[in-house]
Amino acid sequence: MSCSTLNSYLPKLWTPPRSRSRPPRTAITKVFAQPPILAVLSDPHVLRLAETLEDSIASTSSAFPPPPLQKLRDISSQSLLSTPWPSRKDEPFRFTDTSFIKNSDVQPVNPLSTQSLSSLGVLAEALLPSLAIIDGYLVDSLSELPELPDGVFVGALSRLNSEDIMERVSKYVSSFQGDLFWSLNGVGAPDVIVVYVPEGCKVESPLHLRFFSLNGTDKDSKTLPISNPRVLVLVEKGGEISIVEEYKGGDRNDVCYWTNSVMEIVLGDGAKVSHSYIQEQSFGAAHVKWTSVCQECTSIYELTEVSTGGKLSRHNVHVQQVGPDTVTELSTFHLAIGDQLQDLHSKLVLDHPRGFSRQLHKCIVAHSLGQAVFDGNVQVNREAQQTDAGQLTRSLLLEPRATVNVKPNLQIIADDVKCSHGAAISDLEENQLFYFRARGIDIEAARKALIFSFAAEVVERFPDSAVRKRVESLIRRLLDPSLPSREKE
Amino acid sequence: MALFTPSFSFKISASSSPRRCRFVKARRSFTLRAAVAVESPSFSSADRDGAPKLLLEVKDLSAVIAESKQPILKGVNLTVHEGEVHAVMGKNGSGKSTFAKVLVGHPDYEITGGSITYKGQDLLEMEPEERALAGLFMSFQSPVEIPGVSNIDFLNMAYNARRRKLGLPELGPIEFYGYVAPKLEIVNMKIDFLNRNVNEGFSGGERKRNEILQLAVLGAELSILDEIDSGLDVDALRDVAKAVNGLLTPNNSVLMITHYLRLLEFIKPTYIHIMENGRIVKTGDISIAEILEREGYKAISNT
Repeated sequence: MSCSTLNSYLPKLWTPPRSRSRPPRTAITKVFAQPPILAVLSDPHVLRLAETLEDSIASTSSAFPPPPLQKLRDISSQSLLSTPWPSRKDEPFRFTDTSFIKNSDVQPVNPLSTQSLSSLGVLAEALLPSLAIIDGYLVDSLSELPELPDGVFVGALSRLNSEDIMERVSKYVSSFQGDLFWSLNGVGAPDVIVVYVPEGCKVESPLHLRFFSLNGTDKDSKTLPISNPRVLVLVEKGGEISIVEEYKGGDRNDVCYWTNSVMEIVLGDGAKVSHSYIQEQSFGAAHVKWTSVCQECTSIYELTEVSTGGKLSRHNVHVQQVGPDTVTELSTFHLAIGDQLQDLHSKLVLDHPRGFSRQLHKCIVAHSLGQAVFDGNVQVNREAQQTDAGQLTRSLLLEPRATVNVKPNLQIIADDVKCSHGAAISDLEENQLFYFRARGIDIEAARKALIFSFAAEVVERFPDSAVRKRVESLIRRLLDPSLPSREKE
Repeated sequence: MALFTPSFSFKISASSSPRRCRFVKARRSFTLRAAVAVESPSFSSADRDGAPKLLLEVKDLSAVIAESKQPILKGVNLTVHEGEVHAVMGKNGSGKSTFAKVLVGHPDYEITGGSITYKGQDLLEMEPEERALAGLFMSFQSPVEIPGVSNIDFLNMAYNARRRKLGLPELGPIEFYGYVAPKLEIVNMKIDFLNRNVNEGFSGGERKRNEILQLAVLGAELSILDEIDSGLDVDALRDVAKAVNGLLTPNNSVLMITHYLRLLEFIKPTYIHIMENGRIVKTGDISIAEILEREGYKAISNT
């Protein structure tokens, strides 16, 4: 942002920006009145965006949010004051250009328009129990929660009646600090969806969280509707749950919107969370996602991800070990079949002994303007002796000029550990192609089978067979050139 | 093209004695012609009166490694008729495996001269998949692993490619399972073999068995077996050889590539060719094998 634009925003910082009829002020406005030095460090663009989000929240949701939500908003707006919009000069965004979002006119989605859309036929294919979150708002009429085990709570924080759970949520909500997008979500989230599993409780059926973005604009429009869904999953000691988190756009595959989503997962001692994550947003969308996981001792966290949508898609995964003997398995597959950017930034911090982790990241870039980014950081700190950490990334570039930037990095301080990592970037193996052809299979069919098999290694790790089948057919559909693809746009 | 029908396993059990007689006869009648065939490839394929048809004719074939342009084949001549079993032997680096790969169109090699005629067609003009569909099958010496593709899917794709070529309806996974499951007995493998990924984590023996399973499922008029004996213990070798023998009919032919004589004890060749420095330097019947046995390749190359 140039100096003149910066200056044009400055006066605004000094004017009380709201009318008196508004609900009580929140942190952002308070801090606006602080000494000029802070304001100068702030990024006016970020402040303006934060303010837009805050205005929208103030006008649409309860004037008295539950304390944890208020706390989240306070912390988030505080941190936005000193967080600039990331540029390519910032290491975490070195390969990821976010100017598409920055140059758009970001507008929060009005929940009323969302509710009227809720009659649209988006219900298909839900597992049970399921929650539908449309444009960031939980829609009850499209959610189905049959009998959950005793003590399990699934729903909006604002409707949580249990004081005990409220207290636990309070402790963990935003216990971690992410980047700009994390904080923007904290300011803009209309509510927090809470998934609470009490001690020793094993929830049998997978919980399906379906996020739809139905308010989109045409790609020539400068306006970008934003939604900020936020989920907190809290699994107490010995509890178990399986979560399927799915993102989709509406019927059209080229509309523009921005989903800025955050999920925090807290695992108590010996708890287990199996997390399936499927991102098939519109090819015009921006999708920024945070998954922050906190693992107590002997807990098990398994993530299986397939991301295929979005013009700009970024998944930040942060796993923090807070006790010994944890198990962490991350299996991810990214596919860019068009002019898309698929980015995974993962960070696994091991601070305790005998942690076990396995990470497999695969991506396919099948378009000359497509780009994949992977930054996989594993930190094995001093106390994390006898850690067994493995990381492997494989990328398949199928078109000339298709790009992948991979940065696997291990930081090992402990001295008694077993760590491995590997990175490979290739086209399809000639030998494998020939093997198919030598058996009479034509080269196109062989290529398709090999490309699909590359993804299958991750897809087959989805624990739920219905999810597995659906993702398989999604990938087949996207890779089949006979069907309409992004080329036409 | 001959396509093996599900009644196939019957043929194995009914195998040896009657067929073997046919073989011995065949061998006798060809002994003389073989020598002629190799040295004068213009030998015609008169096929009336039940005389065997010409299947493959290789003339003065030369080939280089595509990348380095290093010459490997330097004028190979070979003629195969229907129903014949040929063995190509030779030392390491003599060009045997290259010859096998060139026949099926492996992209690592470039043809620099000569011709290959298969069933009257110019084989060099055909893509590898067209060659396969025309009934040419090579078992790979060390078949590649294909993670993420199950054996049964792979076989189903290949089988359906054949069915399409023949204008037959394709088989769905369930029908195909019914067709393929009995074939596993031929190679003495359990049913879960089908669900494993192609060659992934297979032992040497399993890989060879898998190649022969593919042959049994797909069928072939000319099977090129590239060192199916390497890396096998005696039991596995016997299984594989038995499977190959079971697949032989009076009409289909085999070209075996091998270092060792022991394979020839199991699969009896009509002719043996000795390859050296990119050429076939000697052709004869099983008696060559006996000379090799006694005196090694040296004795052959000196003659």
